[in-house]
Amino acid sequence: MARSAALDRRFHWWCLAPTLAVLAVVTLLPTLYLLATSLTPLNLTQPRTAWDFSQPGRNYTFLAADGRLHGSFWVQLKLSAWTVGLQMLLGFLFALLLNLRSRFLEALRTVFLIPMVLPPIVVAIIWKVLYTPDISPVHWALAALGWPMPALITHPAYALLAIIVADVWEWFPFTMLMILAGLQMLPQEMVDAARIDGAGAWRLTRHIVLPFLRGVLLVAALFRLIDSIKAFPLIFILTDGGPGTVTEVTNYYSYIQAFNFSYLGYSSAITVVLVSATVVLSAIIVRAVGWGPRSE
Amino acid sequence: MNRRAWERRLLHAAVVGLVLVILAPFLWLLQMSLKTQADIFAFPPKLVFVPTLEHYRTIWDTAFRRSFTNSAIVAVLSTALAMLLGVPGAYALSRARFRAAGSLTLWILVSRMAPPIAFTIPYFLAYRHLGLLDTRTGLVIVYLTFNLSLVVWLMRSFFDAAPRSLEEAAWIDGASPGQGFVRIVLPLSGPGLAATAILCFLYAWNDFFFALILTRTEAMTAPVAVVNFMNYEGWEWGKIAAGGTLVMLPVLVFSFVVRKFLVRGLTAGALRG
Repeated sequence: MARSAALDRRFHWWCLAPTLAVLAVVTLLPTLYLLATSLTPLNLTQPRTAWDFSQPGRNYTFLAADGRLHGSFWVQLKLSAWTVGLQMLLGFLFALLLNLRSRFLEALRTVFLIPMVLPPIVVAIIWKVLYTPDISPVHWALAALGWPMPALITHPAYALLAIIVADVWEWFPFTMLMILAGLQMLPQEMVDAARIDGAGAWRLTRHIVLPFLRGVLLVAALFRLIDSIKAFPLIFILTDGGPGTVTEVTNYYSYIQAFNFSYLGYSSAITVVLVSATVVLSAIIVRAVGWGPRSE
Repeated sequence: MNRRAWERRLLHAAVVGLVLVILAPFLWLLQMSLKTQADIFAFPPKLVFVPTLEHYRTIWDTAFRRSFTNSAIVAVLSTALAMLLGVPGAYALSRARFRAAGSLTLWILVSRMAPPIAFTIPYFLAYRHLGLLDTRTGLVIVYLTFNLSLVVWLMRSFFDAAPRSLEEAAWIDGASPGQGFVRIVLPLSGPGLAATAILCFLYAWNDFFFALILTRTEAMTAPVAVVNFMNYEGWEWGKIAAGGTLVMLPVLVFSFVVRKFLVRGLTAGALRG
């Protein structure tokens, strides 16, 4: 072709430069600021603490000794494990159901997406209604059947369960969607061949479908895992981290340190830990999907 | 009727049942917003009742209306800005081969996935000095953190899927790379552009955390305003339900419009192809 590669390259750089420049200003600068703040004892009530780098490692030493923080890791772990696990299971079952060839089921697919597209704050309100005994149809119905249910969100033993149920409801459509997309790429020949060899539904799923979906399942689980670290509106509206600290995940604890106690320096250090976890998990996704440098 | 057809009907009935169970919590809020305060507390619940728009009328006359406008303005502006900046960049990433593509992808993914508090703390501190706390401008800038990444992420996959032969034909006819992009590629990417813009709008509209921390009264958005019905005015469930319904209304309408592209946007290109 008669066109110069240099001209092309220059055009591409001119397209990319504004994107990168703005992205750097709105994301990289704040990240550096966050890192810097995490090295200071910044407390909003004491303005002099702002650029005090005399003991840069202090917040990080606190991290190691903070029992409430370690408790929040444990809550986070329980929340993440249960929600991701249940969402994968439900998502897989629903995807299998909706994958059957039927116009009717295809039309219904969109309806299943409603919980996930709703504003998270509306989801939290919906569950607040269902968990408030005075106005909850669930509490009323169970009481009418002779099984009165305690108020879940104020009960230390059940509050986390209440959050888990709401979160699974909100996000199982996501795993369903991903698995459904994966199922639709499953070559029909593979299924037919296994059928001819006499495989039943169970063995077909176990030996053909699941191995084929391995990549999709991994990516779906990782996306949900990263998102579960961000859990905020549900906890904010339903339990406020309580009762006590039973539903206080790390993200929420960091929020409390920063915006209830004004310890922005310490909160930044906690947040740096959360961001590091996000970077590691995202790097695994980029590898798993193979979005690295393209080798064409 | 044969056995297969019966099985099919049974299956469809089962799925419809499941859909109702899944949607029940959502439908419950909808019907609550149309009940009088007395009906909300009536048990056994009245399934047939005279709907009232009383709660909608009450909240529309409060500061909620301004929050609703704020939400709309901020979401539209942040979407427009993200599209303007992000679409050419996505095109370049799709067509050129950059050595740093891998790290760039990771950077974009991380800024989409990072917990909002990671950006909230530095923005909060900076905005205090810049006078951007409680302003719409402040929110528009913050929403770029996730929307710009989203535009690059999605549009790149749309451009990857677009055939290159047409631009190449335009080049042979003497068009510059810029003309090829503006006159050939962009018009062909209409549906992708529309879907991406709507998703950006939705993400900005749905945001709660940034608005909670970075606004007080002037720039408060609708999701935060709804929550305030819980905190300060006692438990007025009718208002809360009506406010919640108003906040989710645009989301439901837009989601229906772009339902085909929704799948790609929500899984955020997590699957290739």
